[in-house]
Amino acid sequence: MTGSQAPGLRAGTYLRLLGIFYRNSLLNEMEYRLKFWANVGLSLFWLVWAALSVRVYFRFTGTIAGWAYHEVLVVMGLFFTVNGIHQALITPNLARMTEYVQKGTLDYLLTKPVDSQFLVSLRHIGVHNWADPLLGLGLVGYGLARGGTAPDAGAVGLFAVLLAAATVLLYGVSLLLQTLTIWSVSSRGMDDVIEGLLETGRFPVSFYGGAVQGLLTAVVPVAFMTTFPAEALLGRAGWPVAVLAVTVSATIFLAASVFWRFALRSYTGAGS
Amino acid sequence: MSFRIDAGEIVGFLGPNGAGKTTTLKCLAGLLHPTAGRARVLGFTPHERERAFLRQFTLVMGQRNQLLWDLPAMETFLVNQAIYGVPEPQFRAALDELVALLELEPLLDKQVRQLSLGERMRCELAASLLHQPRVLFLDEPTLGLDVTAQATIRDFVRTYSARQGATVLLTSHYMADVTALASRILVIDGGTMRYDGDLRALVERHAPYRLLRLTLDCQVQPADMAAVGDLESADGLAVTLRVPRAATKERAALALSSLPVADVAIEDPSVEDIIRQVFTQR
Amino acid sequence: MTTRAVPRVYPALLRAAWGSAVAYRGQVVLWLLTSLFPLIMMAVWLSVVEEAGTAGGFDGPDFVSYYVAAAVTNHFTVAWVSWQWDEDIRTGGLSVKLLKPLDPFHHHAIEQLGKKLLIGAVLLPAVAAAAAVVSSIRYPVGPGTAAVAAVAVVAGFGLNLVMASAFSMLSFWSTQVHNLYQLWWGVGFFLSGWVAPLELFPPTLRRVAVLLPFRSSLGFPVEIVTGRLDGRAIAAGFAVTGAWSAGFLFVYRVLWRRGLRRYEAVGA
Repeated sequence: MTGSQAPGLRAGTYLRLLGIFYRNSLLNEMEYRLKFWANVGLSLFWLVWAALSVRVYFRFTGTIAGWAYHEVLVVMGLFFTVNGIHQALITPNLARMTEYVQKGTLDYLLTKPVDSQFLVSLRHIGVHNWADPLLGLGLVGYGLARGGTAPDAGAVGLFAVLLAAATVLLYGVSLLLQTLTIWSVSSRGMDDVIEGLLETGRFPVSFYGGAVQGLLTAVVPVAFMTTFPAEALLGRAGWPVAVLAVTVSATIFLAASVFWRFALRSYTGAGS
Repeated sequence: MSFRIDAGEIVGFLGPNGAGKTTTLKCLAGLLHPTAGRARVLGFTPHERERAFLRQFTLVMGQRNQLLWDLPAMETFLVNQAIYGVPEPQFRAALDELVALLELEPLLDKQVRQLSLGERMRCELAASLLHQPRVLFLDEPTLGLDVTAQATIRDFVRTYSARQGATVLLTSHYMADVTALASRILVIDGGTMRYDGDLRALVERHAPYRLLRLTLDCQVQPADMAAVGDLESADGLAVTLRVPRAATKERAALALSSLPVADVAIEDPSVEDIIRQVFTQR
Repeated sequence: MTTRAVPRVYPALLRAAWGSAVAYRGQVVLWLLTSLFPLIMMAVWLSVVEEAGTAGGFDGPDFVSYYVAAAVTNHFTVAWVSWQWDEDIRTGGLSVKLLKPLDPFHHHAIEQLGKKLLIGAVLLPAVAAAAAVVSSIRYPVGPGTAAVAAVAVVAGFGLNLVMASAFSMLSFWSTQVHNLYQLWWGVGFFLSGWVAPLELFPPTLRRVAVLLPFRSSLGFPVEIVTGRLDGRAIAAGFAVTGAWSAGFLFVYRVLWRRGLRRYEAVGA
């Protein structure tokens, strides 16, 4: 798009907008404190429940597909982290998409002199959920401590890169699905799909074996979101994985942006 | 269909449902590609949606809401300030003016969902005008409002356009909106232009007659009134006759002298009737 | 409406519910897609038996049969009426429903049934086809026991319906019911037979789990159809289901009457 402003200034505008948007989301919640703590309590409960339920499997075996109990906990912690990011950043926007199309709010968004992808995908934030990723990281820490091995600086760096790539990847995949709602698919249904797919990230992909493992790596890139970052922390992954992850997430992100623009052309081409 | 609108004009679109009023407006606002033909607004091609273009117009749709539902309208104003990058002093000035014109002072701190439809529409207009657009697209801005609220919006649009020199394109189901505001009207139907011009000319062209409303003392045979004018309607002793516009005075005098008239009034046919006539004369 | 008239109303409304479920069939396809969860659990157990041979007497085919049956059972027994109740009560949508000559409970129940019929029409043939192809899906029971399992599924749906409704009634007093129900449901998730067949639990936990209402809507029908329960255990299971259903129905009715009085007093 053409614009008269310098890129630096534009980035500033977008940051300021994010600030205003998130303030709105916060103001929107009248019982913010109560809901926030209720959510933290609930998340903690799910976390403990998940960690305990994994123990049932280990009643019968020492390792599953080469993963020990504490290592599975690291993956599970990352599942909660990514799931938290999904609920805090993605769901609040995705869930509104059908409404945007049906009520014509999208028309308003398109007449604004700001990037439309930015407006539809980052307008809202789940203010109760922001602690979920942190709780997930807590479980990651617990798993590592239980294993008794501390990752070195290199592993942590690798992990950070992989987690950032995972976030971008999740955003890209969600935007791809969100865009489909322009052609009258229910956006809540889409969000359920994403949630269902993410659910597979609860365990290392090698648990699923063969074809499904390949599917979760290459087609539905859930492996990049939980298994690979966990492997980085456990010292099982090298920089090639990071290069791959960054490439994959950048590709998906770009593809999603292109797809969004394509969908808008179709949306605005509907008239005669 | 082809038309050109000059800066500062207030133009009303008239037409039945599905005539293409909203579609035309959406094309001009860049929300739809024209399938054939070309649109230029302020020197831009609308559907390219260049930022510089988007900053200079606004779109208000009567039944669609852009205000943040659970927050006071002021929050939406601030969001729009940031989106349009309106500098603070300019924003304050625009806000003060709009608050005064639309009497928003008591509404600013109330949650949008607690506002009445009319109050919400006033806030909606304010939110849409904070960046001082040069062109206003108003699609059914008074839809569903009561008569007082309609009048408020109407007065506001007139005053605002005069003050800012803004161009206004307006569609409405309510003829009164259009007749009160628009100096020029475009009548469209099925995507084709049926009339383009000012209202008075439309009335003269499509209604070269006026209405003589008579109240009679006693029943009169229709044949006896034929010399005065064509019978439009009769309800007991109240009779309406159509007379040629140019001969109104003579025919009225004739009616007074030849018929048992108790009362007489001369009226223009309503714009609704004229428009209906435009659509039926294919 | 009198209770006697309710059965007459069901067929007509059910037809409407079926219609709207068909109209939103895209949604149902998505819903089926998202039912990966039991298969995730199955995959984990298959990895476990790959290393351990068997787990508590279950081998690979046992787990496959168990979780396929669990996925089907779950589709028929879930009753997501809690958020609808909640929304109705909070937004005042309940007022509209109260004007209709049908208790809102039936309204929600029928809506769920419509979806279940549609999903069943897709799911059951699919599972039958899968069972014909995949030899590890095996249910060594006669038609009589299978019919008993089907009754158990229906009973499980009934229990879920009154349980969710009973919890939802608290929405008349609090905005946090959804969280509370999720908490309750989370416990149930663990103890229903999702994570593992209850047989694989430590004995103490298992003894508690069979007395709680969660197994009724998942583990119980699945255990019947996989031929793991004898007559006595089946009777005991139905007794537990029946007792909890009666209990929740009572609580639901009491809270409904009180809540309604409060709702009407507030004049929402």
